Amino acid sequence: MNNGRRWDIARMRFRSLLKRQHVESELDREMRYHLERQVEENIAAGMNAREARERATRVFGGVSQIGEECRDMRQTQYIDDFLQDLRYAVRMLGKSPAFTVVIVLTLALSIGANSAIFSVIDGVLLKPLPYPQAERIARVFYGSAEYAKFPLNPWDFLDFRARNRSFENFAMYTHADVQLSGTGGDPVKLSAFQISSGYFRVLGVQPARGREFDFSEERPGNGNVVMLSDRLWRNQFGAATDILGRKVLLDSQPYTVVGVMPAGVDHPGNWHNSVAYGDTVDAWTPFTFNGNPNNRGSHYVEGIGRLKPGVTAEQAAADFNGIMTELASQHEGDKGWTIYMVPLFQEIVGPVHKMLLVLLGAVGLVLLIACVNAANLLLARSSARQKEIAVRAALGAGRGRLVRQMLAESLLIAFFGGAFGTLLAIVGVRVLVSLLPPRFPRTDAIHVNSFVFAFTAIVAVATGLFFGLVPALQASRTDPQQGLHEGGRGSSGSGRQARLRAVLVVGEVALACLLLVGAGVVLRSFVNLLRLDPGFQPEHVLTAEIALPRANYKTTDNVASFYHRLLTNLNALPGVHAVGAGTDLPWTGYDENLGGFTIEGKTPPPNEEFHARYHTASPDYFRAVGIPLVQGRFFDERDTKDSPRVLLINGVMARRCWPGENAVGKRISFADNPKDSDWFRVVGVVGDVKDTPESKGTEPAFWWPVLQQPFPFANLTIVLRTDSTPTLLTEALRTRVRELDPSLAVAHVRLLDRIVGEQFSTPRFALFLIGLFAALALLLAAIGIYGVISYSVSQRMHEFGMRVALGASSWNLIKMVMKQGVLLAVIGVAIGLGCALALAGVLDSLLYGVSGRDPLTLVGVGATAIGTATLASLPSARRATGADPMTSLRAE
Amino acid sequence: MSKPSDLIQGTLDLLILKTIALEPMHGWAIAKRIEQVSKDVLQVTQGALYPALHRLEQQGWVRGTWRESESGREAKFYSLTRAGRVQLDKELEQWQRLSSAVVLVINAAQEA
Repeated sequence: MNNGRRWDIARMRFRSLLKRQHVESELDREMRYHLERQVEENIAAGMNAREARERATRVFGGVSQIGEECRDMRQTQYIDDFLQDLRYAVRMLGKSPAFTVVIVLTLALSIGANSAIFSVIDGVLLKPLPYPQAERIARVFYGSAEYAKFPLNPWDFLDFRARNRSFENFAMYTHADVQLSGTGGDPVKLSAFQISSGYFRVLGVQPARGREFDFSEERPGNGNVVMLSDRLWRNQFGAATDILGRKVLLDSQPYTVVGVMPAGVDHPGNWHNSVAYGDTVDAWTPFTFNGNPNNRGSHYVEGIGRLKPGVTAEQAAADFNGIMTELASQHEGDKGWTIYMVPLFQEIVGPVHKMLLVLLGAVGLVLLIACVNAANLLLARSSARQKEIAVRAALGAGRGRLVRQMLAESLLIAFFGGAFGTLLAIVGVRVLVSLLPPRFPRTDAIHVNSFVFAFTAIVAVATGLFFGLVPALQASRTDPQQGLHEGGRGSSGSGRQARLRAVLVVGEVALACLLLVGAGVVLRSFVNLLRLDPGFQPEHVLTAEIALPRANYKTTDNVASFYHRLLTNLNALPGVHAVGAGTDLPWTGYDENLGGFTIEGKTPPPNEEFHARYHTASPDYFRAVGIPLVQGRFFDERDTKDSPRVLLINGVMARRCWPGENAVGKRISFADNPKDSDWFRVVGVVGDVKDTPESKGTEPAFWWPVLQQPFPFANLTIVLRTDSTPTLLTEALRTRVRELDPSLAVAHVRLLDRIVGEQFSTPRFALFLIGLFAALALLLAAIGIYGVISYSVSQRMHEFGMRVALGASSWNLIKMVMKQGVLLAVIGVAIGLGCALALAGVLDSLLYGVSGRDPLTLVGVGATAIGTATLASLPSARRATGADPMTSLRAE
Repeated sequence: MSKPSDLIQGTLDLLILKTIALEPMHGWAIAKRIEQVSKDVLQVTQGALYPALHRLEQQGWVRGTWRESESGREAKFYSLTRAGRVQLDKELEQWQRLSSAVVLVINAAQEA
């Protein structure tokens, strides 16, 4: 096709569409000219003027007919018709504003909710991670029969790095915060990681300045180099361009800056001593370690690698497990482990994947209900418009034309629903993000973007077609004769239509029940979590972390005596009930380490070891946190550096290690061939506290007294229990620390009940949304029932009048109407609860202490739905009692 | 009322294109010219002519301009576009192939 012609065609289309008046009048002029020439010719042939004109007109045929044919020739009549339909639709919707507002609002709410949830899904689950070829990055963990997920041993790491054939680069990292001082201001605690050489090559990011660590810097003694984050470089070093080579003081040791990372390097997240994905990391230092290469029992580094192109995580796992088998034959400590490769993406979003899909399902159900509701309302209106439709059909509108006309209306409604829904989504996403639990991954990636807009547009069009098609097809079946004939009273075709509407309402109720059951069990689960006895008392407790730099606090004695003096000083503060220090806080996840030990007089099963979580605690730590003593005694002044060695254990360890025996007084040791002084005696048993409220059970654990700890725990958490507002003590705490050592930073000052609250934020978030969606669903179902009953009552007013004339009481009429509404609800409830039972398994992993088939919830939901149906039928029932027997009799 | 099927539509297109290939003409003149040339065998009714002209214009084969006609009034004169000229050649060729094929079949049928 040549360009000139293409241009001509475009010009003609444009004219036919937008200058229709002009085109029509031109055609008219053209044909009038033709007619006049015909008349002239006729006159020339001898006819008189009148006869000439009559003949010409007859020959010419219907002018409008020709015009119509020309219009068909234009091939734009579809668009033309559509525009006409649209104008008509606007007029019709404008005529019943209440109907329009209800239907547009319900759609806007559900489309908006869908778009908002979809934005979250898009940001969290659909967008790739911000690393080049992120799908090739995998995390490496150990697992055993006892521990599903475990960090690596550093010696094993070296063997894996040397021997594996699956990774382009394999690196390790471990969380090790440092304290930065000597920059002029107060010392600050930096979120820092020790990394092996190649760590950033795994992530695929290059330093903005300088370089990454090389292998030589992993050797002990060479590791005093550091890489800074862009943020730290700007905030603490004023973005100095001569930063490379400068010495900075980390934990009072000089480190040479060798590199600065660019802005926006996301931390890939780690699991042990976790810093969440995307959280701030300020500095990286090389991981150096020494010791006995045969000692493989200590696990604290995490593996991360970039797979070679074409290698899958499964193949890499097989490769690693082969190496693991070799290692296990050489080292006792490497027995019993399996390697797990987890793609980084899965590791990051895995915990929320299920919940997001459940939310998407829930919000999708809401949209489905809104569609059914809209279809229902449109059906009701199309029965009211039957006469109009019959007239149009009688005047020659084809079935297709009628369907298109009705669809134009529903698409227009959907368009407005989508437009308002988008506005709601833009606001809704902000609210949603602010409600997200604190450790929710990738919240920064959640935006309402063009992809979300496209999704919304598709959803809106699909809903418009979906809820418009049923009423449109239904309406187009109207028999014009019947429609015109019965139009007056309007009971026509309604048998079929009433049944269809009843089916739609039953569907609505069933879907709403499904959502209500979901909301109900999530609510029950949440209440269970709140009711759970945490095993400690989180109210009125202030916590803060202190890290003692190794350079100044080399020995256990240094560390222990610092904390001893600090706690004594803090104890003297007014309003302090108890103050303690310990290695961890309850409900902060997996804490620290696992130690193997020997129990006096017992031999472990072959190839196994007794082990338990180890911690250290000051005498008043348990009183400060509120963990009760079950048996024996807490640590006290008797337990000094030189006194006999003692331990506290939790109930689980007592039951596991000494089943059926009294654990107090028993001894364990951490030495291979213990001398008498190597034994630790259990002096008390404390209450069990789980890792997180959702953990299945408590893990066995024990505590050393701070003064007797076998190696220096330099980083302890201070716990202050007060009788007033704990935050008032923050300044006093900082002052006391500064008095003892002005180079120390007090970090992570938090309230214990805030930490506890964060544990509930994920279930609270799920509950809030599912509850919201269920409420919306119930409202929609109520509107549906109201609509159907109210329409049916208006159709039956005549019949009711007759009944009153025959002696029916108001109560009889109310019962009749209510029965109809309740019957619909009961069928809907039965179907909905059936579906809920079938789908119960979907929610199980999100629930605590309640099943998806919880009978109480099912009964409650049934009652709620039927109650709502009753309420929704009530106004119509009252209207029925107003039926006038005289009107009915006169009409007969 | 005459129907467009009195003349096969494609044929009418060809006749119109061929007619205005000589000089721009308005609708009345096109109809008259076809009648004259065909010695009144082909009667082009208005009901067929104007939709056909309209469609040819929509497709970019012809272009219409208003100017004074021989009768002294404004009339819409249709002329061939460049694309229309190419189209005319194509349709002529097709018509020749079709008609000679029809002649062949008829002759063969007579001989048999």
